[in-house]
Parts: sequence; structure tokens; C-alpha cells
Amino acid sequence: MNHLAAITLLALSALPACAENTVRVLTTDGAGKPVADAVAYLVSLDSPAPVHPPDRPVEIIQRDQEFSPYVTPIVVGTRVVFPNRDTVQHHVYSVSPAKKFEIPLYIGDSSGTILFDREGVVTLGCNIHDWMVAYVFVLGTPYFAKTGADGTANITGLPPGRYRLEVWHPRLAAKVGRELDVSMNGEATQVISVVLRPDRRIRRAPDSAGPDYK
Amino acid sequence: MRPTGSIPRILTASLLLSAARAAADGPYFSSSASAIWQDNVTNATPGDGVLGAFTLETGVDVRWLRSIDFSTILSSGLTATAGCCTTFGGLDSFAFGPRVELRHKAGLGPLAPTLSLGLEADGVLFGDSYRSNLNVAAEAGFSQRFGDNLQLVLDGRVGACAARSDVFSGGFRSMGATLNWDLDETWRLKAIGGWRDGDIVADYAAERTPHGWVPIDTGAYNYAGPWQPVRTFSEPFIAYRGRAQTWSCGAGVSPALGRHTSLVLEFVRYDTGAYDRYVDNVVSAGVVHHF
Repeated sequence: MNHLAAITLLALSALPACAENTVRVLTTDGAGKPVADAVAYLVSLDSPAPVHPPDRPVEIIQRDQEFSPYVTPIVVGTRVVFPNRDTVQHHVYSVSPAKKFEIPLYIGDSSGTILFDREGVVTLGCNIHDWMVAYVFVLGTPYFAKTGADGTANITGLPPGRYRLEVWHPRLAAKVGRELDVSMNGEATQVISVVLRPDRRIRRAPDSAGPDYK
Repeated sequence: MRPTGSIPRILTASLLLSAARAAADGPYFSSSASAIWQDNVTNATPGDGVLGAFTLETGVDVRWLRSIDFSTILSSGLTATAGCCTTFGGLDSFAFGPRVELRHKAGLGPLAPTLSLGLEADGVLFGDSYRSNLNVAAEAGFSQRFGDNLQLVLDGRVGACAARSDVFSGGFRSMGATLNWDLDETWRLKAIGGWRDGDIVADYAAERTPHGWVPIDTGAYNYAGPWQPVRTFSEPFIAYRGRAQTWSCGAGVSPALGRHTSLVLEFVRYDTGAYDRYVDNVVSAGVVHHF
């Protein structure tokens, strides 16, 4: 009985620990400043981890003639809805190979959801307001997180094993990544330094009166 | 050619526009304010009465947008502009009129070219009433981006102006090109070029004689069009209407002050080859805000 109790106790302590394995990723630029809107993700090198798309669609809102959020990481098979909270119509589109689509001019809730069924980067735009841009990063792994303003992303719920850690950002100049071992009860911080291209977006500010589209 | 009843006509057009805006998005307001220095407001030839003028100008624009199809938008609205010439009160002005523009984007994405067709009309009241006019213009435009930071904008215009005095009436056709180069999200550099062919008004310094006011430069008689003495300026002038071609070139810089606001600093040189060649240099500094 003592052995059984010890084994049970060990099992009970191991289960939550297994679910709590976390890799904390701090992404910085060349100057050491934190990088927001980077997606850190882990790809299992032992066996592919199944992905489970959420039941409810993910929202990417249009407000003040901008997309929000700027970067949305999702897993393959996720549906995304694009509600327009502006008083002006938007024409959301993507010509990215991972997902080509367009939602013609609308206000309010769009007519339906868009299924993102291929891995890759999908660049979103509005065909009326050229400065509007956002990114959907479609992943084939369930282990990912987006960095906040402090540059950190916590990837949780990791089973022990070997992984490849990679970081993606819309302005990433070169691919970065490394292999790492996640052990039982492990909580490790990985610092990733990335090189970012200059932020070249289409200017929104007007230089003449008149209609606010370009 | 007299703009009798011009204000009612503009109001009628405005009402029609108001009807057209039904089921459209808007209204969207934008405003501008600028200070303008023109070094040859008299359009005089060198040594013949060249006078500069400083003008403060402010304007407001309201638009409604309506989708025609996936790639075409109809914009309609009204524009009002008030100008205060601190140098010559006769050039104080107030303009008000409707705008309609059809804009089509040929494809998806920021690199797709955009085509536009527009109509505009203005009733303009001047401090010197004989300058007051009704003008109309049609415009065709084309814009093309070459990447995120370079954009070429071309336009062609045809217009006519009916003033209280025939001297200030006439027509024109013009073409313009602007190259916008965005160094980053804040700084925009502009290169501006244009050509205009049509009626111009050149002012010649005048003197009183027993036969009335006559131009000091008798070459002014080469203008075949109508003429009249004007008291707009600080000294006597005779205004002549003629036809001429004008070439313009300039540059500008526009720092953004935010998503909706920017400063616009421009210099444009206008070189007109009328009977006598005259040059205008126009420097402006202003702010534009979209609400």
C-alpha cells in the first residue's frame, strides 16, 4: 500500500507539472529592445503534435481604419471572422499563397468566416484604404504565443521532449530558431535576438483635403 | 458669361448631391489651413509692376462615399474655402461648391492602379466683385504605387470660368504629375510638375493720360482679349486677358503629425509664356486634417 500511495502521489504531482511546462521567449531586436507582435512557436522533434482549431472563430476587427490585432497566430483549420466596426466600408482581401480571399465592401459583421486551411503567412489588406495591413500566421503546431509590448511570449502546456523554437515577425529579416529540450516541471526562458527590416508601411496621413482613401 | 444666379445653381447642385448621398457612408470631414506667399500676384512681366501677396487660406471638405461595385466608389460632397489676402483686400475670396468623383481600382492590393473621373464646380466671391465667378472643371486621374513608399499621381483637367467681368472669364486644359516619396511613415517628399493651356490674366502697370488709363508698356496692346483697369493693387494696373501656356514645377515636403494630420510645405514655380513671359513663385505652408 505504501508503494501504491507513493506511486499515486508521484503520478498526481507529475500530471499538473506536465501540463505546466512553459517556455518563456523574450524576443529582442539588435539593440536589445523588446519586439512586440512576434510569434514564438515550438515544433516537436519527437512526434508531430495534433492541432485542434478553436470551436469559435477568431476575430480580426477593423476599427479606426486599422486592423486589430496587427498579428494573429492561429492553427491550421481555424476560422476567422472580420467584423467591421468602422462607419466606412472596407474591402478585406489577401493575395497570399497560403490563403487567397476577398470580402467585398461591407460594414458590420462580414457575411461569413474564412477558413485558414494551409500553413503560412497571410497578409491582409483593405482595397479601399491601402495603409491597412495585418498578418495571420497559420501554424501547424499547437505550441505558440505572441509577444506583448515587453517582448515576452509564454508557450504553455508543453509535454516534455525535444523541440525546435522559431520566431516569426512581419519584419523579420532572417529566419531564427534553435533546438531545445523541455523537461518535466521545466520553465525556461529563451532569449531570441532578431534582425528586423525597417517598418515600411504605406503612409496614412493625408497631404490634401478630400476623400480619405488612396 | 455673367454668373447671374450662380449661388442658386450651386445650391441646387448641392441639394442633388444631398439626395445622392442617401445610403452612402459619411459624412467625412477634412479641413486645411495654409499661408501662401505669391511673389507675382499681378502676373506682371519683370520690371512692369511685379507685386507679391500674402494670403491666409482655410477650407473644409465634407464627403459621402458610396460603393458602386467591389472596386468602384462614388464620392460626393461639398467644399468651402475662404482666403484672406493680407496685402490686397480685393483678392479676399470665398469659394463654395460641390464635388463628385468616381474612383475605380483596377485590381487588388496597393499596387493596383487607380483611375478616377471627377466633376467640380465653385461659386467664388472676391473682394473685387468683378472677379467673382462661377467655375466648373472635369478631371481625370490616375495613380500608381511603386512599392510602399513611391506613388505617381497624374491628372488631366478641363475647365471654364464665367466671371462678372469678361476679362476674368475663360477656359483651360491642364495636366499635372506628382511623385510622392515616403521616406518613412512620417516624412513625404513631393515632386510636382504641370502644364496648362488656356486663358490667363496679365496685369500691366498703367498711367492716366488724357485718353484714360493706358499701359506703360505699350506691348500690352498685343493682347487681343478684353481688358479693364483694376484697382485691386496698390498702384494702377490694367488687366488683360490672353491665351498662354504655363509650365510649372515644384517640390514639397509633408511631415505627418499623426494618422490624420500632416503639415504640407510646397514651392511651385509657374512660368507662363504669354505675350511677355512672366514667372510666379508660390510658397505655401499649411496643415491638413482628416476627421
